[in-house]
Amino acid sequence: MTTIEAGGIRLNVERLSGAPTPAPGPPQTVVLVHGIATDNLTSYYFTIAPALAAAGHDVVMYDQRGHGRSSRPPRGYGVEDFSGDLDALLDALALEGPVHLIGNSFGGTVALAYALRRPERVAGILMLESEPPTAAWAKKMSGILAGSAHQLHDERTLPWIEETYGRHEARLVRWATRLLHGTSIAEDIGSCPVPAEESWQSLHVPVCAVYGATSDLADTAPWLESLLPRCRTLTVPGHGHSVLVGTPETVVPLVLDWLRDGHRELVAP
Amino acid sequence: MTSPATTGPAYAAVLAEVTDALHTVLDDLELDDTPITPDTRFVEDLDLESIDLVTLTAELGGRYGDRVDFPAWFASLELSDIIGLTVGQLVQYIAGCLR
Repeated sequence: MTTIEAGGIRLNVERLSGAPTPAPGPPQTVVLVHGIATDNLTSYYFTIAPALAAAGHDVVMYDQRGHGRSSRPPRGYGVEDFSGDLDALLDALALEGPVHLIGNSFGGTVALAYALRRPERVAGILMLESEPPTAAWAKKMSGILAGSAHQLHDERTLPWIEETYGRHEARLVRWATRLLHGTSIAEDIGSCPVPAEESWQSLHVPVCAVYGATSDLADTAPWLESLLPRCRTLTVPGHGHSVLVGTPETVVPLVLDWLRDGHRELVAP
Repeated sequence: MTSPATTGPAYAAVLAEVTDALHTVLDDLELDDTPITPDTRFVEDLDLESIDLVTLTAELGGRYGDRVDFPAWFASLELSDIIGLTVGQLVQYIAGCLR
């Protein structure tokens, strides 16, 4: 366990060193970025991270601000704050060469924002059930966060979640309540600056976007492919938004293939 | 809990180490009043979050080094198994690696 300090924020970091007998292809450094509110680095630590390290890759996981064991400042939750933390993380760990980013849900949003900001530091992005930061996304996400915060003021909500989704989910929601009620995250996401739509055309970092077939986001795949110059999309049958935790055995080979040379096949036109 | 694997000096030493590591990483959780036995469940009984399990095993990794591969062990478990994990299961895994 490592802790890094960046701009007054303490970030909780876990690293797994790549095994000495790697899979074919050069070992890569992979930074895993988790989702928003009910998420933290355990979604990777307990699923795909060990397999990526066993295949020879150096794996970096961290809790984003407001999540897990990282600081929870009262404000400062715009997309640029999250992508700034990622920048500070790469600086603090002195990672040489461009890194691969894996993003789950909101983690993919942060990864894309970061790639636009520092393309020279990003070798490629594989994102699971993610959307780019756009004005429409910010409005929707802010509404979801504010709505969840409102529902969690009702004392019947947590018992209902436990009954419906189980004790583990209820614990994650209880944790998220501290973020939703104790910080300005919903308003910050709703009011933060987002990249102009035309700026995505200049992003030449290769992107692989994975969707769960039954998720609402699966239908946005063609739009994303038209927005990003180097983008391919994949759909995992039988799963919704929780592709990562729901079927890590499917995600691991997708990521390993992407790290091996999958991203290099996407030649810029 | 009477099989040779869960008794003997090695098992007892690992149980003591795990108990000590728990107190090291979770001193803010007031574990003092909670007796820690092999049947104690990390999440249900000690109120640990899954992120605390990562911290705990990172601490234990620092103590046991390469002899115990915690990430590989977690990779072999379903998330539901990890949520229901007991102190005894963790101790048994470590003791097995040390044999």
